[in-house]
Amino acid sequence: MSVGNSLYLVAPEIILSASGLLLLLIGAWGGFKSARLVSILAVTALFASSAVALEFLLNPAFAEGGDAFFGQYRLDKFGSLTKLLIYISAIVSIIIAPRFFDNVAGGRSAVMRPEYPVLIVFAAIGMGMMVSAVDLMTLYIGLELNSLAAYVLASFLRNDERSAEAGLKYFVLGGLASGILLFGMSLLYGFTGTTNFNAINQAFESGLSTGALFGLIFVLAGMAFKISAVPFHMWTPDVYEGAPTPVTTFFATAPKVAALALTMRLAIEAFGSQIAAWQQIIIFIALASIVVGAAGAIGQTNIKRLLAYSSINNVGFILIGLAAANQAGASAMLVYLMIYVAMTLGSFVAVLDLRDADGNQVEEISSLAGLSKSRPGLAAAIAIFMFSLAGIPPLFGFWGKFLVFEAAVQADLILLAALGIAASVIGAFYYLKVIKVMYFDESADVVVKSDSKSHAVIIALCALFVSPLGYLLIPVLGNIADQAAAALFWAL
Amino acid sequence: MLRSGADLPVDSLQGQEGNDLTDLSQYLPILLFLGIALILSAAFVFLPMGVSRLTGTHNPTVNKLTEYECGFPAFEDSRSQFDVRFYLVAILFIIFDLEAAFLFPWAVSLNEIGWTGWVTMMIFLFELIVGFAYAWKLGALDWE
Repeated sequence: MSVGNSLYLVAPEIILSASGLLLLLIGAWGGFKSARLVSILAVTALFASSAVALEFLLNPAFAEGGDAFFGQYRLDKFGSLTKLLIYISAIVSIIIAPRFFDNVAGGRSAVMRPEYPVLIVFAAIGMGMMVSAVDLMTLYIGLELNSLAAYVLASFLRNDERSAEAGLKYFVLGGLASGILLFGMSLLYGFTGTTNFNAINQAFESGLSTGALFGLIFVLAGMAFKISAVPFHMWTPDVYEGAPTPVTTFFATAPKVAALALTMRLAIEAFGSQIAAWQQIIIFIALASIVVGAAGAIGQTNIKRLLAYSSINNVGFILIGLAAANQAGASAMLVYLMIYVAMTLGSFVAVLDLRDADGNQVEEISSLAGLSKSRPGLAAAIAIFMFSLAGIPPLFGFWGKFLVFEAAVQADLILLAALGIAASVIGAFYYLKVIKVMYFDESADVVVKSDSKSHAVIIALCALFVSPLGYLLIPVLGNIADQAAAALFWAL
Repeated sequence: MLRSGADLPVDSLQGQEGNDLTDLSQYLPILLFLGIALILSAAFVFLPMGVSRLTGTHNPTVNKLTEYECGFPAFEDSRSQFDVRFYLVAILFIIFDLEAAFLFPWAVSLNEIGWTGWVTMMIFLFELIVGFAYAWKLGALDWE
């Protein structure tokens, strides 16, 4: 395959790389004033990349996909679908940012910086590489490109103590996780003699040596950190709470999608011939994430921390699909991921919309009391997201949970499914608690009206998607997810 | 031996089952190397110390014994203030120094990778220049 052809297949990344470099220079010479222009251009570039990814996803000419750069990178429907989710999350994270940064501490101390959209674009390139990686080298480069941008983003309000702490914590623990991942990758290379996913899979067919098993375990541990699955979740609540809310919105969506997609690809394409070796690990981290995510959230008073535990909890449910280790499970995970992105974007933008009379962000759950009277629309939207996250039937969040449990039952993991369902009842408690505070508690009169149209539009779109109307999309989404999941199993 | 991955047959990549232990014998050279390196490096450290004691140049003073790391006393109250610009310079140095680590293997293999490799490296250098221009414009290189 010629280099020109390879470049064609990585078009989404090339668009983003070129525009990222250009925007960096515009931001450097234009200063703070250029932040608006840079944001608009970054969103345009992300839209262009989304259009290309959509073309790759839907055009029958690309149904087969193709390998680029001598088996380092693969274009397939799985990659294109997850890339679309990533780019959409990135676009939303840029759109909601200026309002937040211009109003930090009542607009006194900080302003929107042009570096913010640039860093999001660079992170999106890294995540695009991650979901298309079919080689340990590409995997690591994509992961680090995403992580390095994310460390800076977490500490973006560098004068704010919590944000600086979040950035430092994320950096130290992220560096540790990268080290663990690299150690596992070097073991895998040492014992199989290759870094290519398919070749590792072939080498595993003739048996799994102890060294390769350790490599597999270390790689999975590193990935579990990136998807914040228990027992590698400890950084998540602190980072989600401390990071600026638009950044938290980004962290909870795009990197989660990318890391989960990468874990799927690793488990199925690279370790697919030794399912027994990783299935028990995935079952354990799935169940542990569900239980710890649900139990940890109960005592939280800060809504961002609560949503952090909620994301740990949801990652557990998504991993149940991976534990099934079949095509139905992978397809269920993808559908769940689409719904999860909509629910999470919606709830974080809703949190972003909560401001008191001085313009400060409201993050305490107790301050939401009486929201149903002062801001009935927003309260209804938050209620929809909470019910959906809890997986209560008429809402779309239920469908994702239903699909992963169905896949688990089909794969004879009935006990796993039963435990997961039982644990989701614990989870329902804290989601319902937020709704109770909004609708039934004595009004605290903290939150004032917001005039942000962009927030309103995003919240409304996400709420519409997770509302029962979302079920109309099932044939479309299910079909795309099936095709993407089939692409993952194509090589086997 | 360099193993180039995907195109080699798998059988040759993985030792016969059960032979994992005997396979370790091929790492004997590196074990020997490590042992010799340990002995030699210990000699480099301790030999001058012994020689200096015996020849009478051993004359410690307070200033001689003070340790410095990156311009700071090594053991001090960790809450003291320091100039963060040292770190900025160090980070910039690492970024542009690592570039050389990529340039050397590129330069010696240029015959094989041809124009594609040349253009790729030029793109890489261009990206570094963009970063350099950004750092320069933002004043990361001005000490005052």
